[in-house]
Amino acid sequence: MKKLFALLLALLLLVGCSNGGGSNNEGGEQPSGNEAVTNQIIYGSTTELNGDLGNAWWGNNASDATVRELIDDYSVITTDQGGELVENQSVTTGVTSVENEDGTKTFTVGIKDGLKYNNGEPITAADYVAYALVAYSPALKEAGGKVTANSVKGALEYQNGEVNYISGIRLLDDHTYSITINKDDPTDPDTHFLPYYFDATYASLSPLYLPMYASAALTVKDDGEGVYLDGGSLVASELDASRTIYEGRVSAGPYQLESLDLGSLTATLTINPNYAGNFEGQKPSVEKILIVKAVQETMMDQLETGAIDFLSALTDGSEVQRALDMEDTGNFKTVHYERNGYGAIFFQCDFGPTQFPEVRHAVAYLLDRNEFANTFCQGFGSVVDGPYGLAMWMYKDSKDTLASTLNSYTYSVESAVEELKAGGWTLNADGTDYVDGSGLVRYKEVTPEEAGDYAYNVTLADGRVLMPLHIEWSSSEGNSVSELLAVMLANGDQTKEAGMEINQNIMSFADLLNYYYRDSSVDPKYGVKTYGMYNLATNFTALYDQSYSYTVDPELLAMGYNTFFSVDNPLLDQLSMDMVYGVEAGDDKAYLDTWVAFIQEWNRYLPAVPLYSNVYYDAMNAKINNLECNSLFDFQKAVVYATVD
Amino acid sequence: MTKYVLKRLGYMVVVFFTVSFLMYCLYNLIPQDPARLELEGIKTSLKPAEYEARYQALREEMGLDDPIVVRYARWMGLAKDRKGNLNGILEGYFGYSRYFKKDIVTVVKDPAVNTIFINIFATILALGITIPLGIYCAVHKGGKFDNFTQVLTIVGYSIPTYIIALLFIYVFAVILRWFPVSGIGTPGANYTGMKYYIDKLYYLCLPLMVMTFGSLGGMTRYVRAAMIDALSMDHIKTARAKGVHEKTVIYSHAWRNALLPIIGIVIGWFLGIFSGSLIIENTFGLNGMGSLYIKALNNHDYDLALAMQMFYTVVSLVGALITDLSYGFVDPRVRIDK
Repeated sequence: MKKLFALLLALLLLVGCSNGGGSNNEGGEQPSGNEAVTNQIIYGSTTELNGDLGNAWWGNNASDATVRELIDDYSVITTDQGGELVENQSVTTGVTSVENEDGTKTFTVGIKDGLKYNNGEPITAADYVAYALVAYSPALKEAGGKVTANSVKGALEYQNGEVNYISGIRLLDDHTYSITINKDDPTDPDTHFLPYYFDATYASLSPLYLPMYASAALTVKDDGEGVYLDGGSLVASELDASRTIYEGRVSAGPYQLESLDLGSLTATLTINPNYAGNFEGQKPSVEKILIVKAVQETMMDQLETGAIDFLSALTDGSEVQRALDMEDTGNFKTVHYERNGYGAIFFQCDFGPTQFPEVRHAVAYLLDRNEFANTFCQGFGSVVDGPYGLAMWMYKDSKDTLASTLNSYTYSVESAVEELKAGGWTLNADGTDYVDGSGLVRYKEVTPEEAGDYAYNVTLADGRVLMPLHIEWSSSEGNSVSELLAVMLANGDQTKEAGMEINQNIMSFADLLNYYYRDSSVDPKYGVKTYGMYNLATNFTALYDQSYSYTVDPELLAMGYNTFFSVDNPLLDQLSMDMVYGVEAGDDKAYLDTWVAFIQEWNRYLPAVPLYSNVYYDAMNAKINNLECNSLFDFQKAVVYATVD
Repeated sequence: MTKYVLKRLGYMVVVFFTVSFLMYCLYNLIPQDPARLELEGIKTSLKPAEYEARYQALREEMGLDDPIVVRYARWMGLAKDRKGNLNGILEGYFGYSRYFKKDIVTVVKDPAVNTIFINIFATILALGITIPLGIYCAVHKGGKFDNFTQVLTIVGYSIPTYIIALLFIYVFAVILRWFPVSGIGTPGANYTGMKYYIDKLYYLCLPLMVMTFGSLGGMTRYVRAAMIDALSMDHIKTARAKGVHEKTVIYSHAWRNALLPIIGIVIGWFLGIFSGSLIIENTFGLNGMGSLYIKALNNHDYDLALAMQMFYTVVSLVGALITDLSYGFVDPRVRIDK
């Protein structure tokens, strides 16, 4: 028995010692066993790699996207540190556009000479055009890729297999291509593509190395009708297989893929020696980037022990505090920035009490949002008064206007009561006058249209219909925001004092979404208007486009395009559409003016009550310098500026 | 014996189809619209008309409007799919993962290898410790070592694996820095041959220690109890009275009798090498079957979850047969051919 114990102990110690067990690494050291390379960053991602490098045509796993964006760059149009669209000066000699007589718009793009893939082969305009020919191909559709072809002239016919060329894309010479955008959607003339504030994105293509996507020796040709592939055709299975080519993957970004191991969930990237630079001409200096799995529960330990060097966007208060404590040792650094998004109470504005703006306002007044944000974000968050992020250029440029015109709905039971009284919530269940402070639920006399089929309505003997101030709230299980909301709002004394009742219904997230989208295709019960209030969170993309999100079109509503169901507010719909489709590209002032008007109307109508916007913290090893990410400029973009001591 | 095995195999087929149909129905009762989920990620890039067209096309492609029996028959490979082929579980096609956008067999490959690799070591290590320990404690029942082991094992048995894992990480990885916090190999090391396996084992030391510690309690106590029962039997007293050597009494007479109640558990452990430990894998960042399963559920990838469950159903059915047959090998009284 003793021998057995001794043998096992010896085995463990032997294995441990053979890999440097017992060494007492300090924060900045590499983990034992990780040899030689010091000019590297180990990026810890809480999202596991799926290994899909297929241009986001199939899926968009966050870690896969990180790898893709590090190895594939050179798109003609990109976004800068502030989220604004810019031409990529490293790849293009210029982008010009002309409006055609038929309302279409043609962009002509010049590609710089001397660009190369990581394998040394040259990149020409044909490689950019090849991207479109693959993306819009019927074979890609067959392989399960999801690319919309409607905006590019002739691309839909090509995608449907009606023709073998794209008439709207022309290969003008080795270094120039053009792309023509439809004015209207060919499948729906009521839907327009132009004018579009972000129309420069239509001109943007990226180089695609054809031999990696097809076994046939394909070349891009243009005989005058449009571009096409000569020498064979694309095959769905080959396109599908291209997603998981890891060895010798040809790419054109700051880094190249050295290996991707799905067993250990690790991607290893090294500098691409042929990279010409990002949109500012910046080239990377960090030799190697390793993307590894960070375990949520122990990632701070991983950082402290040197198993990872960089953690992105920490929000949990205890993790942020630990990162700050670690920073005090001098072995680590932090960078913080505002989230480009928020958590909020989302209302459905077409039935029950939440159809009335006064009720939505009252809910906002009854919640101490500053206290909520402070408690939930444990000191690392802030509050916004509309659907915007504090890092947006639009916010920065209109900060004073917004500060003076937006209602911040500061916590006040009196204001809530005033709103409710003004909205007609002045009755008891029996139709008598409501007495403030009685603790009873308020009622309001409503019209048959307002009453709808809300389950809690009361019909009096004289035929009047009263609606109680009773809100059904849907919240997902195990959600800390819901728990805090229940304490600070639904079960709060101030809510009862104001005469409001909020009933929390805890359900699975899938169930919540079905009710939220009123998805009766899953089950007819979801099509019934049941919950007036949901707590969810959302992020904004760098290009702020809210079109169709506030549509009042019944058909689009049925398709789930306006989950606020703000059907009584065509102005919000108009502004959200005009902001992007009513403004010519480059007219920043018109865009900003519409944006401000949209935010103001949103704030007045209040289809949602913003609760918190986190402050994100990036935590990193002190050996890393100049790695300045923000919510519009992530690690994969910022890392080209970074250095390692 | 052959007749018995064939009969059991026949039952297994019936149970397999019954379970598979029930499981398929249960997963389809989950309120979700796979077509909508599939398009959700690109919804903002689609104009409404195209979204609707794609949504309807996807519903058609996924057969969501067909009766559940038809969908089950297609999934099982008993009915032809929309392309006119028999292509289901029975034909070896386990389906397509909508989250990973790959065939399920491809998705499962790496996690399965990791899980089996970890579990083989964990099982051998745990049995290698618990069986001798249980026997030793039973033979020296009431002694200081036995009492100490009883306390230790009840602690190991009582504390959740999650807590043990975090404690071990804090002590051995953060404080002592003997082992890495998580992972399955040195990132970017590109080791080959023996060094690759040593590196892998080094990374797996901590999870293996946790798994072993967590399983010591139960198994040691099972073995101990079984051995105490066996040692109190009359034939053991007879053997001792006859002057049979004590080692022979313990390992030949008592141990063989003690095996009967624990053989099922031991075989269960070996069959369990295919199923991952959700807690261990998640805590140590290991890409295994347990974490894959929970990932499938969290991402509404029910085809993947269902395929994994069907695999475990088959493993369980085969395991039950092997366990029953093994009783016969251990105990001649329950041999089928007698």
